[in-house]
Amino acid sequence: MTPAARVSRRTLLRAAATGATALAAGCSGGTRSVQVAVVWSTSELDRFREVVAGYPAPVQVISAGNDIDAFLRARHLAGTSPDVAILPRPGLVTEYAQRGWLSPVRASTEYAVPAGLGELLTAQGQRYGVWVKAAHKSLVWHLPSMLPVQPANWDALVRRTRELGALARCDGGPAPLAIGAADGWVLTDWFENVLADVAPESYNALARPDADWQGRPVREALDRLAGLWSINGAFVGGGRRALLTQYEESVIQVVHTKRAVMLVGADFTADVADPFQRGPEAPVTFRFPGAQPGGGPLIVGGDAAVAFADARGGVELVEWLTRADSFQPWLRDGGYLSPNTNVAIGSYRDRVGQGLAEEMRTPGTLRFDLSDQLPGAFTGSDGVGIWRIMQGFFADVTDGVRASEAIRRATGLLAAAARNAGGGR
Amino acid sequence: MSQVRVLGELAVLDDVGPARRGRAYPAAGATSALLLPAAVLLGGLVLWPVLRTMHASVTTDGRWVGPAHFQTALAAPGTGAVVGRTVLWALLVPAVVTALGYLLAAASRRSQEGGLVRLILLVPVALPLVVTGVTFRLMYDPDPSRGLATLVATRLAGRSVEDAPQLLGPGMVTVALMSAFVWAWVGLAVLVFRSALDAVPPSLADAVRAYGGTRRHVLWDAQWRPLLLRTTAVVFALVAVGTSRTFDLILVMTPGSVRDEASVLALRIWQTSGGTTTGEGAALGVVWLVAVIGGIMVAALFVRQAWPPPRVEAAPEPAPVAPPRRVFRLLAAGAAIAWLVPLAVLVATSAHGRVDAAARGWWSAPPNGESYRDLVTGTELWRTLGFTLLLATAVTATVLVVALLAASSSSPVACVVPIQVIAGPVNEVLGLVLSSGTAQGLALVHIALGVPFAVLVLRNAFADLPVEQVRDARLGGRRWWHTLRRLARHNLSAVVAVSVLEFVQVWNDLVVGRLFGGPGSSPLGPFLAEQTRSFVSNSGALAASSVLASVLPVVLVVLSRRHLVAGLVSGGVR
Repeated sequence: MTPAARVSRRTLLRAAATGATALAAGCSGGTRSVQVAVVWSTSELDRFREVVAGYPAPVQVISAGNDIDAFLRARHLAGTSPDVAILPRPGLVTEYAQRGWLSPVRASTEYAVPAGLGELLTAQGQRYGVWVKAAHKSLVWHLPSMLPVQPANWDALVRRTRELGALARCDGGPAPLAIGAADGWVLTDWFENVLADVAPESYNALARPDADWQGRPVREALDRLAGLWSINGAFVGGGRRALLTQYEESVIQVVHTKRAVMLVGADFTADVADPFQRGPEAPVTFRFPGAQPGGGPLIVGGDAAVAFADARGGVELVEWLTRADSFQPWLRDGGYLSPNTNVAIGSYRDRVGQGLAEEMRTPGTLRFDLSDQLPGAFTGSDGVGIWRIMQGFFADVTDGVRASEAIRRATGLLAAAARNAGGGR
Repeated sequence: MSQVRVLGELAVLDDVGPARRGRAYPAAGATSALLLPAAVLLGGLVLWPVLRTMHASVTTDGRWVGPAHFQTALAAPGTGAVVGRTVLWALLVPAVVTALGYLLAAASRRSQEGGLVRLILLVPVALPLVVTGVTFRLMYDPDPSRGLATLVATRLAGRSVEDAPQLLGPGMVTVALMSAFVWAWVGLAVLVFRSALDAVPPSLADAVRAYGGTRRHVLWDAQWRPLLLRTTAVVFALVAVGTSRTFDLILVMTPGSVRDEASVLALRIWQTSGGTTTGEGAALGVVWLVAVIGGIMVAALFVRQAWPPPRVEAAPEPAPVAPPRRVFRLLAAGAAIAWLVPLAVLVATSAHGRVDAAARGWWSAPPNGESYRDLVTGTELWRTLGFTLLLATAVTATVLVVALLAASSSSPVACVVPIQVIAGPVNEVLGLVLSSGTAQGLALVHIALGVPFAVLVLRNAFADLPVEQVRDARLGGRRWWHTLRRLARHNLSAVVAVSVLEFVQVWNDLVVGRLFGGPGSSPLGPFLAEQTRSFVSNSGALAASSVLASVLPVVLVVLSRRHLVAGLVSGGVR
């Protein structure tokens, strides 16, 4: 390209930029509102808009969907980052903080989260994010009429699965378990629940750069999973069919078609189940069982709010979001679990919500979703990272591969993936 | 050689034959200023990103690392299978499409029902590939109580419901994807072959027969050698390059657990890099670029060796030749019915509410309008449709103006860059003009991708104008746009073809929207693809929105099909 052409190209770009800015300014009108990018869409987005309607200044909420990371990168390149973003993974918060994109934030005096969660959002000793929404990921769902007695511990769950599996094979009764193995996160949630019970003290170490993915804790957790998953007739249509079943379809198999009895799923399973419920019978839950009776560990996930470095009004909005009464509209509508233990139990709409909030306060072993903390591509998405590896493991053990061989393959892949993502040994 | 995009694809339209007599490139050389908009767009959003990607493939943070990224990327587990699958797609699918296209074009000629058959085959061509994916995923649903194809396969294999064959399972998924692709593309091949067959002078066949030639001789000397070899090469190359679009199908049709078994280079690059450029992603991208360009050069070789074709305008009204044999007519009718089945499945599923569509097959519950009611009363679909309409209209208008300017003065342009390869640098350029993740950015990328194709078609059309008309237009137009208007009036078919194809291309797009869209600028493709994340529980609404999203492109393509043939395909055949 000749210098002359380059100049004219630049001039043109600049002209286009001026035009775009003028257009944007024209749209936003007089006072500038605080811009928040969120992962939520549809009903969750509407609820969050109701929440920020209570903020004294105007707030503009934009939904970036599941690709919020790509969206924020592009906006950063373009120099048009929003003021506040709500991120689905704590790994993103520390990553952005280390790149210098974020501004440290304050929490209000009413903000308190369960031990171990706050540290996930700090970098270089500074707080860069606050939790605004939590997910309870240690629940097993079933219809009361389909499972009169809830298994008290892991062995009871295995026994019950064997019995129901045998029944299903001989007289075509419902399978013991529905599982949406086509979605990798369903399998990582299973794995995390078992891992936190097998080796609570090693769990957090696996999120660190020097993690040992071929060590004893991982192998034991996989072994326990293999013991249950390999039971003949455990899943609707068998393992290969389960790998083509998405999470929401597995919910339908339990609450609507009743082809399965139990389902491991987070608190938001209730929202999925609602439109498919038949008759008055609503699904109920019990805690994901550990080796000991009386409830296993608690795995939580969550969304965190951050403020960008040159944001206007971002830090203030983030602080406001941590107040105990900010999320009242969403609490009233249901489908929201607060990470803030200072939110009154009474403000939850129903008994289920209250029960979950209670459990968040007396967690026993509370751990944060491990796959959400893993670096780079290891964190998983469709066909990638830990999602894919767990699906391979699931396919192996449901297809009759010996547990020891399946575990050897899986741990080898996990260690390699961790190395490639810049962590692991 | 020049390559353009047809129906959103990068395709080869042959322009290598001997120089045509009477070609008059209007305003040649005189007005390079008219080229400026096209040059800026292509330079900024195609050429520069390609160079940037090549640079990224051999550097890390600006440091030279030689072939390290290539070694890592090619040594990664599964890369061999991914490359092999990409090659399989590029060879097998075009072969099937070309063969079927020729057979059906021949079978549907000169019979009364032939027009109807071709019309049916044309509908899938106009559908967004996302909708094709949704349709075939409904058919291949692993549950025989919902998936029609799974049910039929189960019955045929004599298996129990519990042991149903899994058409979307790891073993079959590539075949399932290919079947959807063939379904979508055969109509285009039929269109091209039909106009090629019509262009064969019947006197040639008569001459062969007069010398005692058999049916085989007629086929060989009067059809294959003068015209069909060339057309076959063009169709094959067109479809081969089009297979880069499998990305859309894989994203929509495959559950996460079999995505690896279905993966091709386009998907692998997207998984490695996303919207940014990493060394490994760039290396894979360069490999892909080289392969695509190599493939096109091979195809061009065949095109070059073919005979110079006769002028289409010279073809007289087809003399009354006997209609094809009965078996061929049955073949055509059978194909039409087979091609209708997926459309029927889509429409039938859309006529069920959320619960019915998710829990049982569309054949076992009475239809109702629940899904449509929910969609029509909601705001989201309308907003998306409105935005997409605005985007597609604005892009089409801009492309037309830019291309008319460029076509009246330019030489052919080459553009065969799959957008995934250059997504990162394109985003950087868009960042420069403050339009990343906005509607303007999305439109800019679409325009840059659409201009080369439009320029080529328009330029060929201009070149076919009689010299006097061009001179009249230039003398008669007081300003350059008056000249353009006069030229456009003489080339109505080409202008219509470019407009319709560009509009449909933007309307049907997934990749560009996915890579460069943002909140408030989310067009139809990503809107539909996002809903497939929970496919079964959404299938009613998804089918209904797919139907609503398909109406406009199908109507446009069907209404303008004669212009498409005249303005585009005749140029492609020649």
